[in-house]
Amino acid sequence: MSRSFLLATICASALVAASAASAKTLVFCSEGSPENFYPGVNTTGTSFDGNEPIYNRIVEFERGGTKVVPGLAEKWSISEDGTVYTFNLRRGVKWHNTRAFKPTRDFNADDIMFMIERQWKDSHPYFRVTSANHSYFSDMGFPKLLKSVEKVDDYTVRITINRPEAPFLANLAMPFAAVQSKEYADAMLKAGTPEKIDQDPIGTGPFSLVQYQKDAVIRYKAWPQYWGGKAKIDDLVYSITPDNSVRWAKLQRGECHVMPYPNPADLEAIAKDPNVTILEQPGLNIGYLAFQTQKKPFDDVRVRKAMSMAINKKAIIDAVYLTTGVAAKNPIPPSMWSYNDKVKDDPYDPQAAKKLLAEAGFPNGMETDLWAMPVQRPYNPNARRIAELMQADLAKIGVKAEIKSYEWGEYRKRVQEGQHQMAMLGWTGDNGDPDNFLYTLLGCASAQSNSGSNIAKFCYKPYEDIVLKAKTISDQAERTKLYEQAQVIFKEQAPWFTIAHAVQLKPVRKSVVDFKLSPFGRHNFYGVDIKE
Amino acid sequence: MTAETIPTPVAAPNTGPPHPLAEFWLYFRANAGAVVGLFVIVGLVVVALLADVISPHSPIITNNTVFLKPPFWQAGGTLAYPLGTDAIGRDILSRLIHGARLSLLIGIAVVVLAVFAGTVLGLVAGFFRGMIEIVIMRLMDITLTLPSLLLAIVIVAILGPGLMNAMLAVSVVLLPHYVRIARAAVISEVAKDYVTAARVIGAGRMRLMFKEVLPNCVAPLIVQATLGISTAILDAAALGFLGLGAQPPTPEWGTMLADAREFVVRAWWVVTLPGVAILVTVLAFNLFGDGLRDALDPKLKR
Repeated sequence: MSRSFLLATICASALVAASAASAKTLVFCSEGSPENFYPGVNTTGTSFDGNEPIYNRIVEFERGGTKVVPGLAEKWSISEDGTVYTFNLRRGVKWHNTRAFKPTRDFNADDIMFMIERQWKDSHPYFRVTSANHSYFSDMGFPKLLKSVEKVDDYTVRITINRPEAPFLANLAMPFAAVQSKEYADAMLKAGTPEKIDQDPIGTGPFSLVQYQKDAVIRYKAWPQYWGGKAKIDDLVYSITPDNSVRWAKLQRGECHVMPYPNPADLEAIAKDPNVTILEQPGLNIGYLAFQTQKKPFDDVRVRKAMSMAINKKAIIDAVYLTTGVAAKNPIPPSMWSYNDKVKDDPYDPQAAKKLLAEAGFPNGMETDLWAMPVQRPYNPNARRIAELMQADLAKIGVKAEIKSYEWGEYRKRVQEGQHQMAMLGWTGDNGDPDNFLYTLLGCASAQSNSGSNIAKFCYKPYEDIVLKAKTISDQAERTKLYEQAQVIFKEQAPWFTIAHAVQLKPVRKSVVDFKLSPFGRHNFYGVDIKE
Repeated sequence: MTAETIPTPVAAPNTGPPHPLAEFWLYFRANAGAVVGLFVIVGLVVVALLADVISPHSPIITNNTVFLKPPFWQAGGTLAYPLGTDAIGRDILSRLIHGARLSLLIGIAVVVLAVFAGTVLGLVAGFFRGMIEIVIMRLMDITLTLPSLLLAIVIVAILGPGLMNAMLAVSVVLLPHYVRIARAAVISEVAKDYVTAARVIGAGRMRLMFKEVLPNCVAPLIVQATLGISTAILDAAALGFLGLGAQPPTPEWGTMLADAREFVVRAWWVVTLPGVAILVTVLAFNLFGDGLRDALDPKLKR
């Protein structure tokens, strides 16, 4: 399949070169500035989007899907017991040749070693460069999972892990595993400016970075020697536009071709525009309200249940998500395998909630805080408005909730430290495996860490045992059974009030050809074309 | 307007000099804008005082069946929600009415705080001169060099967001005006004969400051205070708009405006009405303040 695709791209690009002399520029109205150009230390979709055109990974997700396809590794083999992965790397992959650096060699196994060691070994000279906080790498348990990484020869790498890990290959296709040039890194280390590789990046991806102006614009140029064939568009521009109504206005006037995260209130108008289509896909995401389960009073499951029953979920969907969300009852989205549809959601029942709260020792209600993020997220179009709805609902059972909000970076830091009592957050899956939700967001390892994603600080033995066991099995049917069980326990323990799964909507101008929605919410412009 | 002023001077001479209040009203009502401003303010005060009685709904209880209902005169609107509802089903009219109470409270509280502190500092600076004056006045000059909203944001950032802190921040921002006015008035009054006379009789410093000089400095302070109320309301709304002022679900006009921004195109009433409320209130206070200045300024007296 990949060969025919390759052929197609070559033919297409030859045709383009023959017919159109003018450069094709695609403008993407992105929602924010990337923090830097090193995805290994990033956690936000915004930063991943900024890095997507530049880098490749050992393996990739197919465009518009969750299937793992060859990337920098042409093929791989896995040992019988599932602990040894041998990757055969692609030959003749050229690094970008930019003003920042002129590479002298092609991509090889040293670069793969660099990618892993930079995040793994804290003695590595690059471990602390830009940031020592390799969130994804540590959240997914990589430091404990990896046993050894060896370079067999220039084009073969062998990774040995301590125990079988079913989602391992998919994990390597995630943005944090982007491969950087070791030659560039060495040269910059020598020059005394190691952080430059994360600011003026070179990669092996379909586009090279031309210019980045914070809060204004990122410009990329198609890399003519890309191993998959040159991209169909010549220039790629990210026009950074934080306000969703402004993004829509720009799209309407043709100033950009693709925009993420439309304002639900604008959708009606967008649907009517003859030049724009809305691409739609059930999102691989969950928006939730997490209870801090290690702090009083939310260490009591009855209090958590009472909250869950007091909040009117339907009203939230109707008022804030409008048509862009479906009510959630499980921590994983319905489109994911092992979704347990038999789980029954807590009913909206303020009377019962009040009774339950009284049983838990709060007959006269209580006071608490309710954190809402200040920005729009793919899984939550307006957290502050949802917070106001929740506040009104909770007031009806005598719970006085104070809404708190901080600057987005500060907000994430504080909830990860567990300073809140109730806080909203959400998650967009990044490898299509339930483990990515059920363990990453609710496992003990992440609860004990101050930078973990388990903001409910939920660490419950019976649950933990099941999700850990599911990790080591490779048979999907058996894993499904375990994960279904985990979802039942989740509902009983109610560490979250699950709000909704947002539908991914992307308004795209009709002149854009073959743009595919990524189930992970990423934006990938390789293979996309523009017709005149 | 001019026609009205003609007969009054005729009536005045036969009863001797008019009562100061009557004289004030005479000059004040000559300014039509100021009178309108006064009526609007009186109306607002009445609405604010009776908020609980006259508002048709609770300003914070949401109704899940009526998201973004338009005002009654538009298709789809009902008289139950005369000015429509917001994105989460709260009655806009009730929120505006309760918002009036808050805005007036903010305006008055901020100004009272600033006037009180400002007058005391100004009196001290005007009386004691020397080092004390230099310290106070230079401090005020520094405060004045900073853009007012920026300073307020910094103060709120330090104290944490909330209505009380926003009010405190705005009063700090307003403070220098009152200090300067009070000091200038004190310096010119202190040189006058009646002060010397009082001093010769043996009046103490406190008596001089508060009983003799202060009452004669009140007029410019009152004018500045009225104008200050509008500034305070506006600044507090701006802080609310930035998410640093009143916290939800408090029905503060600036916060309402900020929450409704995204509906500019789709539901004009959610955005427009709080804006109009701020506009009318601030305009009324400004007109009233102008009229007050004209009426109290001896230089403008005919």
